Amino acid sequence: MSFEFTTENLAKFEELVTHYPEDYRRAVTLPALHLAQSQEGWCSPGVMEYIAEMVGTSPAQVRDVVTFYPMFFEEPVGEYIVRVCHTLPCDLCGCAKIKEHLTEKLGVGMEETTEDGKITLLSSECLAACDQAPVMMIDDDLHGFLTPDKVDELIDGLD
Amino acid sequence: MGKPKELRILYENLDVPDMHTIEVYRQHGGYKSLDKLFGMEPSDLVDMVKESGLRGRGGAGFSTGMKWSFVPKDIEPKYLCANADESEPGTFSNRYVLERKPHALIEGIINSCWTLGIHTAYVYIRGEFTLGKKRLDAAIQEAYADGLLGEKVAGKDFALDIYTHAGAGAYICGEETGLIESLEGKRGQPRSKPPFPAVQGLFQKPTVVQNVETLCNVPLIVNNGVDWYKAMGSVYLDCPRGTDPVNTGTKLYCVSGHVEKPGVYEVEMGLTAHEMIEMAGGVRGGNRLKAVIPGGSSAPVLTPYECDVPLDFTSLQMAKTMMGAGGVIVMDETVCMAHALTNLLDFYAHESCGQCTPCRNGTPWTRDIAKRIEQGGGQPGDVDRLIEVANNIANVDTFTWNTICVFGIAVSWPAVSFARKFRPEFEAHIREGKCVTLPVDEAVTPPEENYAWPQALAEAAQKPAWD
Repeated sequence: MSFEFTTENLAKFEELVTHYPEDYRRAVTLPALHLAQSQEGWCSPGVMEYIAEMVGTSPAQVRDVVTFYPMFFEEPVGEYIVRVCHTLPCDLCGCAKIKEHLTEKLGVGMEETTEDGKITLLSSECLAACDQAPVMMIDDDLHGFLTPDKVDELIDGLD
Repeated sequence: MGKPKELRILYENLDVPDMHTIEVYRQHGGYKSLDKLFGMEPSDLVDMVKESGLRGRGGAGFSTGMKWSFVPKDIEPKYLCANADESEPGTFSNRYVLERKPHALIEGIINSCWTLGIHTAYVYIRGEFTLGKKRLDAAIQEAYADGLLGEKVAGKDFALDIYTHAGAGAYICGEETGLIESLEGKRGQPRSKPPFPAVQGLFQKPTVVQNVETLCNVPLIVNNGVDWYKAMGSVYLDCPRGTDPVNTGTKLYCVSGHVEKPGVYEVEMGLTAHEMIEMAGGVRGGNRLKAVIPGGSSAPVLTPYECDVPLDFTSLQMAKTMMGAGGVIVMDETVCMAHALTNLLDFYAHESCGQCTPCRNGTPWTRDIAKRIEQGGGQPGDVDRLIEVANNIANVDTFTWNTICVFGIAVSWPAVSFARKFRPEFEAHIREGKCVTLPVDEAVTPPEENYAWPQALAEAAQKPAWD
């Protein structure tokens, strides 16, 4: 399970390194992991070893970082990531119903991936869009004022 | 005082199409502050910001000018970190600055960096803000192309680089030293203070960490002057020693929950919680108000009987809660307070960084007590137990914490305030062994028993004045 950046991502990485002082190369760890995860889909052991070498630290230290941040995946995930906010403002506006609808529709529990590997359903802490509650993100896109119908439309629209 | 109105200075022209581009931003007066900025001495600018009364908008409300005066002049390099890790439940105003008016932040950073002699700034932006980061990155590129960043900012002998740095979903990285650790490529676990970041922060160098909203205020002060700025908001004549009486400028209040028109409302500081709810269209469906969290989820909750409190730093501090980052979460009569508290404590249990035992273990413990009360499994004495466990993470009465950072108090503030102020509803759950939502009047603890709405505060609040 070895990993290395594509030529394009390697160039991006080299540019990112210049953002930080030379003697603090480790500072590029988070951006590098984001970049690697966008390529590989998750932070595999191979990714962690590669990033450790690239930023000049140990795989253990990279793993230390990966395990701290919820956005880095320690296991393979689905093609699409659906994050449903469940913190108080969304809870007040009915996110429980949205979660229930999604789990029924997709036939999986929260924090699980559909059998076909298409969708990983995650609960998320406050997504900072409480004026549009209840909200969820599908990959990079935020969707607000959710209703079961709107959820159907969004999920059915994924190819 | 008439009916409070919105006053958009930070959010001015926010809804103009393509406001995120430099062209449209400039058409609407963007970057105008730079002409004045470069004609002024940095030390005069620090004084100007100090005199304006600007207080940090991220939570603590510390005087920005004061913070800046602590930054040593003789140590190089120094860093500025813009805190765009907006994660406090109930806050969402920075999101719209980043997505719709990112140049306002860049202008704020240029102003602040010139003032402080800083040549590198990082914007720590939360990982979920993908559109915001895209817009801000594009805006930074435009600013470089326009000569506003780089070796010579606006043709002056002053170099400045701005980089964005995405977080990855950890709430604690909004704490300034957690943010610094995260920027250095580590777990975002807060550092012991002192040393404070202004002396020894990012890469062990003097570092100023400032909220997005705070930074966006700086060019407005530089451009329009201190008197213009001080004319907005209020200053209290009478308030206890040790309380900062200054509340100048506007605030971006984020109103969410059970109101007809949730959203960001920018108003002069000083309108009351009731007025804020009215501005947001009132409680949904004409329902009765049950509770308001005035400053984001960490702020102690207010009962409907306390909602005459003006939403400013001073008044909220005197009412034993806080302005925080201005997240006003409104709950109507349908809400079960045990459920609402369990939800919040779930959040904190998930977000505790794990560094300090009282927080790592105490937070899930308080959550478990609240949860069993909600689900009808509460034991006699559980309400006091909840308060005791929370107070052992951080004591809300003595304002001391057994943890490295203030996350501890952010847990015990909601835990203790919910339990004390809505005690009858929690007790009813335990007594009846099931979830019970009491009518508002019965759910609230009588004021004289467990919390005091200080009359002095109401009186002080009547006297906002500079003269």
